[in-house]
Amino acid sequence: MKAEKETIKKLRSDLLISLFLFALPVLLMLLTFKITGQQPWKNKMPVVKTQTK
Amino acid sequence: MIHIIEGIFQNLKTWGLPVIMLIIGIIEFAYGLYENHWTKNERLLDIVCFIVPKILVKPVIAYFGLLLLPEVLPNAKDIFAWVPFWWGFFIIAVGDDLTQYWYHRLHHQLPWLWRFHRTHHSAPYMGMAMASRQNFLYTIFFSQIYFTTTMVYLGLGYPVLFVTGVKSLITTGAHSSIKWDKPFYTKKWLKPIGWVMERVISTPATHHAHHADTNDDGIGNYKGNFGNMFFIWDLIFKTGIITRQYPKGYGIKHYKQEEWYAQFLWPIFKSKKEGSELAHNGPMVGDATPELLDVEDSNLPVITPAYS
Repeated sequence: MKAEKETIKKLRSDLLISLFLFALPVLLMLLTFKITGQQPWKNKMPVVKTQTK
Repeated sequence: MIHIIEGIFQNLKTWGLPVIMLIIGIIEFAYGLYENHWTKNERLLDIVCFIVPKILVKPVIAYFGLLLLPEVLPNAKDIFAWVPFWWGFFIIAVGDDLTQYWYHRLHHQLPWLWRFHRTHHSAPYMGMAMASRQNFLYTIFFSQIYFTTTMVYLGLGYPVLFVTGVKSLITTGAHSSIKWDKPFYTKKWLKPIGWVMERVISTPATHHAHHADTNDDGIGNYKGNFGNMFFIWDLIFKTGIITRQYPKGYGIKHYKQEEWYAQFLWPIFKSKKEGSELAHNGPMVGDATPELLDVEDSNLPVITPAYS
């Protein structure tokens, strides 16, 4: 039993919209940083563990 | 008392949520909201589904988060720890819930996936008892578990904790048989809040409609209302309806009260009930319109499949 053609077509188009929705918060965040000139990644870098002897 | 409540919410992701569910469940039961539907078979299934995933899912997440991710993304640990909390919250809330919307929707719209999600819909009642009720494979492959675990690894642990906490409260509330959203549709001063609320998050009215056993009354919408935390996805994709009413019946019309172990462990264990979707050689979708049926020549009613 297969899904109907119409269903598959709707799934495809909605998935495309979803890709944009997934990216939207990230894009809005980057836009805000651009407008306000914030560069938080410069202040808080991940802690890199170094081996000491 | 305030310390106990504080403790519950501080430990929401461990023992807090199960405690909330147990308390609400007892209230629901005391008020007779399960009516006479909570038979021995349903009870066993609900209890197993409440307990086992909590033991089963943790090792899977631990394996994925602690062993697999460092191998696959060795230099990415905490790489996004700089993301401000509220942006992280927004990113995770959308990413987590939209992933689950799709996971859920596909299980309804792709026939071959339906039987993995059927267990959640077979309950002829709403409430805490059935909120965790799922086939074990649906639980293990719960897509957003892997999304949130990856986000924790990438450094977004606090936003993940916050989002999943809020989400668990919303989804628990939406499954409750206590219709706590009703005043938002009847009391004049609450109506504006209700209008926004029912469009943004899942409520008992919209989620009960998803668990309805029929669409024919104009209230049930088991072919839609897929949203879990947010209802907004259903509005964007036109898969939702808002009626502010509650269905009369829940579950699936062709339910055969399949054995609890078959519902929990299908396809490892099959049902012995003849004609069941979970039986050996059973139909993929029990109430699907027979494709060979000549509708024009037949007086039989055409039944719309539950999965679509």
